Amino acid sequence: MRKTDILDVMSRKLAPFVMLFGFYLVANGHLSPGGGFQGGVVIASAVILLLLAQEAGSVTTSFPLTALSVAESAALFVFISVGIVGLLAAGAFLSVFLPLGSGTTVLDSGFIFVLNLVIGVKVGAGITLICFHILEAH
Amino acid sequence: MTVRNRHGSVWKKVVASSLLLFLVAATGVLFLDAYRAAPASNPEARTEKRYIVDNAKRETGAENLVTSIYLGYRAFDTLGETIVLLMAVAGVVRLASAGSGVRKKP
Amino acid sequence: MELSPILIVILTLTGIWGTIACRNLIKKVIGLGIVNSGVVMLFVYVGSRSGSHAPILIGQTAGLDASQIVDPLPQALMLTAIVVGVALTSLALVLAYGIHATYGTLDIREAERRAKEQLEPEEPAQ
Repeated sequence: MRKTDILDVMSRKLAPFVMLFGFYLVANGHLSPGGGFQGGVVIASAVILLLLAQEAGSVTTSFPLTALSVAESAALFVFISVGIVGLLAAGAFLSVFLPLGSGTTVLDSGFIFVLNLVIGVKVGAGITLICFHILEAH
Repeated sequence: MTVRNRHGSVWKKVVASSLLLFLVAATGVLFLDAYRAAPASNPEARTEKRYIVDNAKRETGAENLVTSIYLGYRAFDTLGETIVLLMAVAGVVRLASAGSGVRKKP
Repeated sequence: MELSPILIVILTLTGIWGTIACRNLIKKVIGLGIVNSGVVMLFVYVGSRSGSHAPILIGQTAGLDASQIVDPLPQALMLTAIVVGVALTSLALVLAYGIHATYGTLDIREAERRAKEQLEPEEPAQ
């Protein structure tokens, strides 16, 4: 795709805000519409916006392919280990084991916040990897 | 390459397309008939909704009821779904970089 | 009956018809995506008939009763369905690209003809 000045400047100015919105969706997944999957796809779309408007070399310098693959596999590993800790602590796989408060802050929400974060990282890294390889940007 | 339009092939195409259209339309009509005959509200759904509204915040810690379902009561399905996404990424990485594996005759 | 289920079923059937009748591989993949969207819409629509508020109990909506909110269970199931649909579409597109790279065409009948020709090359008439 031919690089133009407008796309270059606008994508570099807009992509951090899109990524911030994605992290907001992931973090407030248990209080408002959103969650791990929705926020993860928005995070991936910020990186893909950069990939489409910039040249491929600069994006793979900021988001290297090996880091994305490691992030995706590590997120799945953290998910399974949270489940196993739930198995050891409360008797059932993936059961809720942290004490639940009655407010709405992060500490009161048990481990749903951790699960949302992990799923957001995994979905974001996975969809970015799919689009990198389909667009052949390596 | 152009296909020479022989005498019987136009009719074969028309018959095949109309048969497909008829089957698809029949599926739609049967499904809509079954949908119309279903009861308007399900009493078991009311029980399940009442349980979720009463107990979700206390048992899982999420006010968003959809999150409390797919990360609290049914987190195992979410684990399976993340594994499906991992398999899709693995398949795309292998196929896009090494081809689809179809061998030409040597 | 209302208009919405009829339109959703028409959309799903258009996707099924497109998957079967189109010869281009990309159009078949698009048809699969349309079927996925239609089924998701149908589930969420049927679940939304039993209430009028979103299933989030915080702040102003903290005291909502079970008869006023929409059924949250089909929405949670459809999240999984959407992600599986994304995985399916990405793999199908990569396979279609592989077929194009190997046979040089995206038409399914033409690719089948070339594949048969490669396995059993036609012998010249004696």
